[in-house]
Amino acid sequence: MRRQLLITVAAATLLVLLAFVIPLILLVKSSAADRAVSEATVGVQPLAAVVGVVDAATLELTVSQVESVVAGRVTVFLGDGSVIGAAAPRTPSVDLAATGRAFTADLPDGGREILIPVSGRPDGPAVVRATVPRSALTEGVRESWMVIVALALALFGLSLLLADRLARSYLGPVHGLTETATRLGAGDLSARLDPAGPPEIAAAGRAVNHLAVRIRELLAAEREAVADLSHRLRTPVTALRLDVEGLRDPGERDRLSEDLAELSRAVDQVIGEARRPVREGVLAACDASRVVRDRVAFWQVLAEDTDRVLTIALTGERLPVRLASADLADVVDALLGNVFAHTPDGTPLAVSLRARPGGGALLVVEDAGPGWPSSDVLNRGRSTVGSTGLGLDIARRGAEASGGRLRLVTPDSGGARVEIDLGPPY
Amino acid sequence: MVQVLVVEDDPSIRRALMRSLGELGHAVSSAPDGMTGLREAIEGRPDIVVLDLGLPDLDGTELLRMLRAVSQVPVIVATARDDDRSVVRALDAGADDYVPKPFSATALDARIRAVLRRTSTNETDAALVVGDLVVDVRSRTVAIAGEPVELSPREFDLLAYLAARPGQVVSKRELLTEVWRQPYGGADKTVDVHLSWLRRKLGESAHEPRYLQSIRGVGVKLVEPSG
Repeated sequence: MRRQLLITVAAATLLVLLAFVIPLILLVKSSAADRAVSEATVGVQPLAAVVGVVDAATLELTVSQVESVVAGRVTVFLGDGSVIGAAAPRTPSVDLAATGRAFTADLPDGGREILIPVSGRPDGPAVVRATVPRSALTEGVRESWMVIVALALALFGLSLLLADRLARSYLGPVHGLTETATRLGAGDLSARLDPAGPPEIAAAGRAVNHLAVRIRELLAAEREAVADLSHRLRTPVTALRLDVEGLRDPGERDRLSEDLAELSRAVDQVIGEARRPVREGVLAACDASRVVRDRVAFWQVLAEDTDRVLTIALTGERLPVRLASADLADVVDALLGNVFAHTPDGTPLAVSLRARPGGGALLVVEDAGPGWPSSDVLNRGRSTVGSTGLGLDIARRGAEASGGRLRLVTPDSGGARVEIDLGPPY
Repeated sequence: MVQVLVVEDDPSIRRALMRSLGELGHAVSSAPDGMTGLREAIEGRPDIVVLDLGLPDLDGTELLRMLRAVSQVPVIVATARDDDRSVVRALDAGADDYVPKPFSATALDARIRAVLRRTSTNETDAALVVGDLVVDVRSRTVAIAGEPVELSPREFDLLAYLAARPGQVVSKRELLTEVWRQPYGGADKTVDVHLSWLRRKLGESAHEPRYLQSIRGVGVKLVEPSG
């Protein structure tokens, strides 16, 4: 923005300066020429006044006197064809002047000639010619031009300096605004800024501060709401559990206890989901490489105790994903726990994590066990192998929360493979 | 007979607890709100208080602080708030233990007995000793033959639970319920992986067990190593 502002101001200033400086330069040049011609004309006017009344010798003397005060050469063309003063050919301009017209004309060398007709001589009309050399026509012009250009450059520089100051005065607060908004976006809710700069930007700063306060308030309210939800849901479940426990009929008690355990898990899941915004804060993100490495290391000891080879393939680079580290840890734990629960001791298992082309990561957990028991293992509570299916359900919800998805694959070589796309952070 | 005061605003829980704990041999009184509970705790001089944190008139943690100012009666906090922050706040305010909702009467009874056992013994009795293994519940430290062992909080709770029952086979379902305070999921391997870590830190493995003996299909027990 600063660069754009400078370019805009530079272009505008340049246009204004050119609009004034070019005519001024031409005017200076024209004025200098006019001044030189005027001075020469004034210089030869006395000579023109006496040409008609003095003799040739006096005229010769007068011409030499006039020539000493004008810059160019002075010549008098008499009616009889003789020439007094500086030698010069009788040109058509002289003949034209002899007809009674006074005028000035350009010379081939860039100078000018002033031609003044004089009548009243017995030998016919005479013409006084004075030349103004080119140097006299442009005398002082270069210096004036230099002053004008220097002033223009100074004004141009000054305008750029003022534009830069202006840009800084705008951009300083804007940078502060951007930094604060970025920190808030990254989850630092303590980020605040000192509203400064032009009124509009200061107002935006105050709005960002207000927004940060509101986010904190909303998160606190959310936390309270979740705590209240937990209380409201778990209290009746507790009452129900205590009542079921007090049943005399063992069969009915066991049956209801199982149902109640299922209800408790459902309540836990609802509360867990409701807690997600509180847990994640403003931004849910973590380095998947670090979390997966830590969780695999955690499960490695159980692999060793159960004679399994647990291999891990990581690229070594950071792989940011849109999931809180605790949630991703739950996903990995659920998947690895499933493998340990549903495959015999000694079954090898492998975990790999690599970057996805569009950002995020692909997590793969596979084993060489008996494979998937049925197609509805993803449905919670419908697993046919004695578990609740919660592991895959947790993994699926984690994947979807990150903007990705979970796939169950049966490799050609047998066993089972879970592929989870984890989306990139916002 | 243990005198138990239940401070709970939910009438159905209050009623069920009075019945269940009564059947388990306790003398139970109850209070429906914080101020009544505080008065009962001071005047009734119960042996233990079961305190719900979500009371209508007073925050349970605040009540606990007020109670601690005048009484050292053991308190078990019963709470639907199972997040770490709430639990830590309650323990810091002076709770002796906590039981997350939904809980069973038998689980609460076990905690009542454990807390009373702990609070009635002196400092030296707080250490559980199995062979060279010493588990100090109060300072939450573990040592083998005098050498300290670094454990995570969950590993310590697991070991302390087993050390309190030396030689007794404890099922993984019980460990998940009592140590993790979670309902058993059937295929949960959390207990197994923590047992593996505990074995490592105690200097043994599943193939060469010493203190921790797995009984396949049943559970695990902590024993004094032979030889």
